[in-house]
Amino acid sequence: MIKVDSLIKNYGDFHLNVSLEIPEGTVTGLVGKNGAGKSTVIKAILGLIRPDGGTVLVNGKEALSLDGKEKQMIGAALADAGFSSYLTVEDVIRILRKLYPAFDEDFFRKACAEQGLAFNKTIKDFSTGMRAKLRVLTALSHKAEILIMDEPTAGLDVQARIDVLDLLRRYLAEHERCSILLTSHISTDLESLCDDIYLIHNGKIILHEDTDVILGSCGILKVSEEEYEKLDRRYILSTKKEAFGYACFTREKQFYAENYPGIVIENGSIDELILMMTGGK
Amino acid sequence: MSGLLEKDLRLTLSRKQTLLIFLVAAVVMSMSMDGSFIIGYVTMLASILSIGTLSYDELDNGMSYLMTLPFARRTYVREKYLFTLLMTACAWCIGTLLYGVGSAVRSGAPFTLSELPMLLSLLPVLYLAAALMIPLQLKYGPEKSRLVLFILFGAAAVLIAMGSGLSGGQAHFLARFATFLDSLPSLGILAVIVCVCAAISFVLYLWSVRIIENKEF
Repeated sequence: MIKVDSLIKNYGDFHLNVSLEIPEGTVTGLVGKNGAGKSTVIKAILGLIRPDGGTVLVNGKEALSLDGKEKQMIGAALADAGFSSYLTVEDVIRILRKLYPAFDEDFFRKACAEQGLAFNKTIKDFSTGMRAKLRVLTALSHKAEILIMDEPTAGLDVQARIDVLDLLRRYLAEHERCSILLTSHISTDLESLCDDIYLIHNGKIILHEDTDVILGSCGILKVSEEEYEKLDRRYILSTKKEAFGYACFTREKQFYAENYPGIVIENGSIDELILMMTGGK
Repeated sequence: MSGLLEKDLRLTLSRKQTLLIFLVAAVVMSMSMDGSFIIGYVTMLASILSIGTLSYDELDNGMSYLMTLPFARRTYVREKYLFTLLMTACAWCIGTLLYGVGSAVRSGAPFTLSELPMLLSLLPVLYLAAALMIPLQLKYGPEKSRLVLFILFGAAAVLIAMGSGLSGGQAHFLARFATFLDSLPSLGILAVIVCVCAAISFVLYLWSVRIIENKEF
């Protein structure tokens, strides 16, 4: 559905060079620190920026040359952009009705009411959480086959985050063929939703792994300097110096559990993955 | 395109207080002032309001989101030109109606049909000014575009001042051109104005398309 092949984009000192693929029916997470290049990738997929090199294909067609009809298949929720805040939800409904032939007004009205979004209040009077919910609901309102969600839960309280994630889960349950690209700073959001994770750092993909593998096979070995010297480091992806010795990130924690029964092994998480892969040596 | 028109109409209507103040001022002016100034005033306000939708679109990174919606970039530009045309045309009708009612109230008779071509010539000229603002605003943003417009008008004023200082053959040519225009029937002049404004607006539209197609959001 989405294929990014050697996408190159340069902004001054920042150089992006990324390849990734999001097959049909897959939920893919894109994680990385601030400024790693997540939003640039999202913008390239949405045809908002012109790549300096490489290709970005959406349903087999260059993202930049998608026409109106082809863009109807995409639902986008951007972190810091949406409909003008001077519009009301009622206005948005009338606009979406004309923009998308597949606009599901009943679903949208019902979901807005469930989420407590007032129909005749201007968006500028909405809280951060309400705006985020409206952005997500708008993206889900027209039976899109591809969802691009840039930080849909950023800045939300726990309840609002759960609500937004529930909306996505329900949509996925009803639209099995839908592909989603999701970026988030909150790892638990990605762990519960994504089939696979791309880790981007300094404009490059440094790891691509199934979420199950990250959660099941990856781990952090906490070893003293002495233990570190004796350690078989073939399966160590990244090492970080700590006060007690070393923290080593591995995708084969079972191997170390079996061969080094004395060492401490912590389960892997996406947070650890980001910290170890982008901050280790 | 219809979705974009709906958006711009709703954004314009969201400025209810501004619209009401403009309308009240227009009614008061039509009742108290002689002349057709009211038509130009109302039409110009409408063109400013329609160009204002570009600023609303750009607010809070709105353009990034808009460009993910299902239309081609050139459709966005086409809609802006169409919306501005519809707004200025409607405003011209309202202005002309107010002018007619005002004239009837003050002098007992509305304007004559012979005035119509002259009154109608305001529409393409004011539309052209708005048509120029679209590429400027797309390229430079709301703030800088105003500055660029001031510079352009300043340059035009300098050129006119230089023109008034012409002597000999050049001044003679301009005088003959003015006499030629005077000799044309008013409908002919209107046709020339409409054609010239339409041609320049089309060039400005093409420039706007080029700007938006090369722009990154």
